[in-house]
Amino acid sequence: MNTLDWIYAGYEIVSAVLFTAGLWMIFRKCRRKGWHALVPGLRYYEIGVIGGRESDGIKAMVLDLLSAVFKTATDYIPQESTFYGLAMIAYLMVQTAALVLRIRVVMGMLRTFRLKKRWIFLWIAANWIPSLLFGFSKKYQPLDLGLYDDDELLAGTSPALIDGAIDDDPSDDGLVVHVQNRMIRSHGRKRYLLKDINLTVPNGSLVLLLGGSGAGKTTLINAINGYEKAKASIMLNGTDIYRNYKKMKYRIGYVPQQDLMRMNDSVMATLNDAALLRLPKSVSRAERKERLESTVETLGLSGRANGLVVKKSGGQKKRISIGMELIADPELFILDEPDSGLDGVIARELFEKLRLIADSGRIVIAVTHTPDRVADLFDKVIVLARDSGKVGRLAFYGSPDEAREFFERDTMEKIVMTVNSKNEGGEGRADEIIEKYAKLTAERGAAANA
Amino acid sequence: MPKKLKYRGRIAQTGIYFGKLIRMFVYQNDWKVLPMAALIGGLVTFAVGTNMFVTQEGTMNGCFALTCVCVWNGCFNSIQVICRERPIIKREHRSGAHITSYIAAHMIYQMLLCIAQTAIILTICHFAGIKYPETGLISGSFIIDFGISMFLITYAADMMSLAISAVVKNTTAAMTVMPFILMFQLIFSGGLIILTGPAENVTNFTITKWGLNSLCALGDFNSQPMVSLWNTLWQVRPYEIGGLQPVKEFTDYIRKNNMLDQFLQDSGAYGAKEAFASTMDNVIGCWMVLILMIILFALSATIILEFIDRDKR
Repeated sequence: MNTLDWIYAGYEIVSAVLFTAGLWMIFRKCRRKGWHALVPGLRYYEIGVIGGRESDGIKAMVLDLLSAVFKTATDYIPQESTFYGLAMIAYLMVQTAALVLRIRVVMGMLRTFRLKKRWIFLWIAANWIPSLLFGFSKKYQPLDLGLYDDDELLAGTSPALIDGAIDDDPSDDGLVVHVQNRMIRSHGRKRYLLKDINLTVPNGSLVLLLGGSGAGKTTLINAINGYEKAKASIMLNGTDIYRNYKKMKYRIGYVPQQDLMRMNDSVMATLNDAALLRLPKSVSRAERKERLESTVETLGLSGRANGLVVKKSGGQKKRISIGMELIADPELFILDEPDSGLDGVIARELFEKLRLIADSGRIVIAVTHTPDRVADLFDKVIVLARDSGKVGRLAFYGSPDEAREFFERDTMEKIVMTVNSKNEGGEGRADEIIEKYAKLTAERGAAANA
Repeated sequence: MPKKLKYRGRIAQTGIYFGKLIRMFVYQNDWKVLPMAALIGGLVTFAVGTNMFVTQEGTMNGCFALTCVCVWNGCFNSIQVICRERPIIKREHRSGAHITSYIAAHMIYQMLLCIAQTAIILTICHFAGIKYPETGLISGSFIIDFGISMFLITYAADMMSLAISAVVKNTTAAMTVMPFILMFQLIFSGGLIILTGPAENVTNFTITKWGLNSLCALGDFNSQPMVSLWNTLWQVRPYEIGGLQPVKEFTDYIRKNNMLDQFLQDSGAYGAKEAFASTMDNVIGCWMVLILMIILFALSATIILEFIDRDKR
């Protein structure tokens, strides 16, 4: 080895040590295990977790290992062998993919540290410099570090307290929701999406489901309709949805956010097919026709029901999508952002139709991001918030007026901003509000028991 | 005790979906696959010429080209049909739709499309001047036997694409995968490139191999004269060795004695292949493999689609 080689080798060793030291401190700042920085491969998984790109982190880890395998193979296989060429090709392919994935995970981490994307160039050129800076300098702090781990319960929200308030309600009518938690396993780790959602919705209610992005609105909807089962008990008019899912799925109508229907089919055929799929066999042809007509009438589609779905306006398409569920006369009707893409007047008309549906004795739960233009139509408001452990929790359930009083805000949008994180331009008071509501519920429960 | 409500079962739902597909055929321009089949059939038969079923080379080229047309048609019939409406299927599945019914409806609908496309191609071949042999090995009618083979190739390719369409999440991914599948099918058919060693075993997994074998067997490839050998000899007539021109002498001898037809016929025997044996067992064997593939692909599509609820939103 000549002097230049020695210098290069020395630089390699020193930079590797510095990089590892920096990473160790970054991991500790982010409440991860520092020693993971010592393990090649695993360190990129950890960076992925920090940057919210766990899946990419795992891929980067696997590619790192594969890369090491192919590199070793090229060291031992004779150069004249065909397998040497194959191993080299594989090594280069894996290295390229690994580089892309490392860039992705590091970009995620930069976002967590609220840093500009251009830092990636320094990371590629000399990763030990940014690693040391982010790890040791107090100037660089990660964003959105919660006070709680995601499997930790917030004080005051134990299910027992809330259950006390609800279990005493003997009514079999309406929707009774007791979600203990909704947990998923992501790459071998537990992750809670929802915890402690307990509420009772009477029949004939139009319910507004509010919450910021990632608060768990769709997760709660899926948990309620039994599509993605949670650790929960969901009773609809006295019947357990989970235990009787095969039967109950026909009694629940779910209208997704997008207009999921065949655009090149005719409106009447779309509704008729929906009726055939969702209605019991015992419903006669005449009765089905009658339902079809009444659905078209209820949704204000009379005179517009001819022709292809694709030719209809946004509002009409949305009503057809609603009609596909309404035609089966569901007891529980859930709509995920039915007004997305609709202007104010059309959206208002749509919610007025939903009000009519609720008035016919059904429970209608609707998610919307523009609630104030229709807030007066709702009987109840469910506010979900993502706590600092990134778990969706119940921040409020009650009438719109009670919500305004509880949050001390005059509009629904301001209410959502109260619990939204600061990243989303909110006030970041989710933890405080969740605890406040838990205390309120506990007090109500205690009063009811007394 | 409340009466237990019964909802429409798999057979009734198959009918609902079949009706939907027929409407899509009309409204969503799915009918365009039929004129497209005619167009591609016309182009290929134009290139094939009229030597099909006359010489081994003509039969091989023609059968290979028709196999390609069938695979092409089959693939493009269904490569996008599931992935383009995946979220809709997911919605319907959660409302009580059976995936088996959905796939069964597609199988029936695609079968009708494939039959129509086969009929179109055969008609075009007829008008292009290809003379079909009169008797067939299985049914007695060549057209029926040849049509069944072409239909099975098209339908197997169709079901393969249906399975791919069930795997991929969107049409972009489907159209990215498609060329690789087509290339694999054509290269590993064994018709275009002579494969040896492990690559030869791979051919057993292609629709094109079994399709080509059945078409060549039905076309009585092994009994036909081979012209390529004579053409090659004719090209190298001037070749000299030790002041002599043995190839020229040989070809002149054949022509002078009016032995050309005999030579072409005899050289055809050297080009005969066991896989193209014009026997009922061979053809039925090929058909069975294609039917097995159809069943496996349809089954795969069903199983894969049963997990549609796991799709992320």
